Amino acid sequence: MTTSLPATPALSRRGLLKFSLGASAFLATAGLGASLSGCSAQSPAHGFLTLREGDLPILHALIPVILAGTAAADSREALLQRLDNKLASLSPAMLKLTRQLFDVLALPVTRGPLTGIWGSWEGASSGQIQAFLRRWENSSLNLLRMGHASLLQLLQMAWYEMPESWAQCGYPGPPKV
Amino acid sequence: MPVPDLFREGLARGWKARDASRLDQDLTLETDIAIIGSGAGGATSAELLSAAGFKVLLIEEGPLKTSSDFHLLEDQAYASLYQEGIGRMSKDGAITILQGRAVGGTTLINWTSSFRTPEPTLQHWASEHGVKGLGSAELAPWFERMEQRLGIAPWIMPPNANNEALKRGCEALGYSWKVIPRNVRGCWNLGYCGMGCPVNAKQSMLVTTIPATLEKGGELLYLARAERLVHDGERISSLQCQAMDARCVNPTGRTIQVKARHYVLAGGGINSPGLLLRSDAPDPHERLGKRTFLHLVNFSAGLFKDKVNPFYGAPQSIYSDHFQWRDGVTGPIGYKLEVPPLQPALASTLLGGFGSDNALRMEQLPHTHMMLALLRDGFHPDSTGGQVQLRGDGSPVLDYPVSAYAWDGVRRAFHSMAEIQFAAGAEAVLPLHSDGRYVKTLGEARQMIDGLSLELFRTRLGSAHVMGGCAMGEDPRQAVCDSLGRHHQLENLSIHDGSLFPTSIGANPQLSVYGLTARLTDGLIERLVSGR
Repeated sequence: MTTSLPATPALSRRGLLKFSLGASAFLATAGLGASLSGCSAQSPAHGFLTLREGDLPILHALIPVILAGTAAADSREALLQRLDNKLASLSPAMLKLTRQLFDVLALPVTRGPLTGIWGSWEGASSGQIQAFLRRWENSSLNLLRMGHASLLQLLQMAWYEMPESWAQCGYPGPPKV
Repeated sequence: MPVPDLFREGLARGWKARDASRLDQDLTLETDIAIIGSGAGGATSAELLSAAGFKVLLIEEGPLKTSSDFHLLEDQAYASLYQEGIGRMSKDGAITILQGRAVGGTTLINWTSSFRTPEPTLQHWASEHGVKGLGSAELAPWFERMEQRLGIAPWIMPPNANNEALKRGCEALGYSWKVIPRNVRGCWNLGYCGMGCPVNAKQSMLVTTIPATLEKGGELLYLARAERLVHDGERISSLQCQAMDARCVNPTGRTIQVKARHYVLAGGGINSPGLLLRSDAPDPHERLGKRTFLHLVNFSAGLFKDKVNPFYGAPQSIYSDHFQWRDGVTGPIGYKLEVPPLQPALASTLLGGFGSDNALRMEQLPHTHMMLALLRDGFHPDSTGGQVQLRGDGSPVLDYPVSAYAWDGVRRAFHSMAEIQFAAGAEAVLPLHSDGRYVKTLGEARQMIDGLSLELFRTRLGSAHVMGGCAMGEDPRQAVCDSLGRHHQLENLSIHDGSLFPTSIGANPQLSVYGLTARLTDGLIERLVSGR
């Protein structure tokens, strides 16, 4: 298996497959690199079970975009706690995948080329973040499509599990038993 | 008046139940019958075996949660009652797989729909997969017995508006529809079957066969993952279990060794073949984990002028098999039409998009109708299902490529659902696909559906039914078990769950699992008694 990205994304099916394998290895290596280097600590941030310090700026940037049109940004801390709790219940295999996804988004070496966001997450405009999400949604790489689906699913579910979200979507909440 | 928690009362009376997460030392347990998995297959087997006088140990990976733990909240339910904290997906991440993981298994969180195995399915198994002695007539008494045991009967109350729309649309078009039989007694019609029944109305294993097993002196071990069957290629000598932490995420380091005369594997599709793969079980013809089927599900949303409130009321009470068998058993893929319950978190991920697109769709939740199609996989040569594999950490995962044959069914199902929703009075319909948008006429919907690029991730896909992977059949070159559920190679191992099915069922599978495993257990008891 090739471990380096081809210089030009090949257009053929075969080339695409190779690129896909290359990207997987690239992402895995990035994840490994992140876990080996001291700069991206793998231990949870203060007050969290799974979310790491490096994950937080990404999520802070994503919440107002993925959940635009809702009141989620007003309850950001509570939302992060919900998300953290969800992640803490995932199987180790799924948590690992999710962390690799965050690593790819956190590390400048992968973030720039794969998301188009070359500066920090704190400085990214909502237009840039929307473009990144659209790019991943429409990517020819299943891995990036999966990343897009995971980010949406994690944040949307975490938000709509919160009673704070229910009034806006007309859900009166569970009946009393 | 508070609802009595029957299970906790039983525990207080002295039922034997052990929480492996709290073990402070390793353990060895001996029993007549070790049953792995406490869902439809395992618990049905446990009740019958313990009633026949055998000492039964029921082993469950998930936690013990009982009616007073069920607060009708999505976050709590998904995190504690579903496999992998609801993170279970096909290997490529494109299909969400909903399976239960708690004492009672998927019966704790299913939507109560209870169908006998369709006759064409059983005939197909006999003619194409060498399944013997499991025809409709032979299984009928077992279905009847389990229907009585679990209160299974067509739903007597009026359907909720979400189900009513399916009925109305079918009636307007002259399509057949029927009322769904449900396994409930004294149902409050709340609509939260997927989060654990708070009033013990659903006749899940938690309130029926497991209590009966424990009353007979059977023992329950939970938060214990069956890690490995130790065997010599012919007989199993023990089962190694890992104690899990209270969240059921990581092993605590404590182990439980179980020695039994006979082992019944009932972890369901994915987990049963997974345990056998981890155990290096003999598999001379490489059948293990192969032909694992999903009822692949796609969805269509409809907007109605009147409130649907799809989050309330018995989740599934109407179905249509109009498109199920009409092109033949082995023709283009058939599908069953039903509706899902739609609480907000689940709804938000189904409806698709992000930002204001998603927020606007969510604001219309009370007026949203949702329909689903269950695609009947495995009956055609181009429909071979997926394969259970092991990840690096030994956990099982289903590699499930979606065939062109299945995609054809997805597109036809989008058409059928849109047609029925408009016929029922929908003002707009949205096929759940990244390029889908609400359109106001059937003509527009048809044009849009024909133009959709059906691919992974762009099409919202899910499944709540995993079947096969340890297929039964008389020919060991084709099957893992024989038609009595006996493993073809390991003599003291039986498999009693949906992993036995040689194809998908073509209906929600719980009653198929109950009826089949009751019959298989009866045979097992006869063999054990005569060998005693």
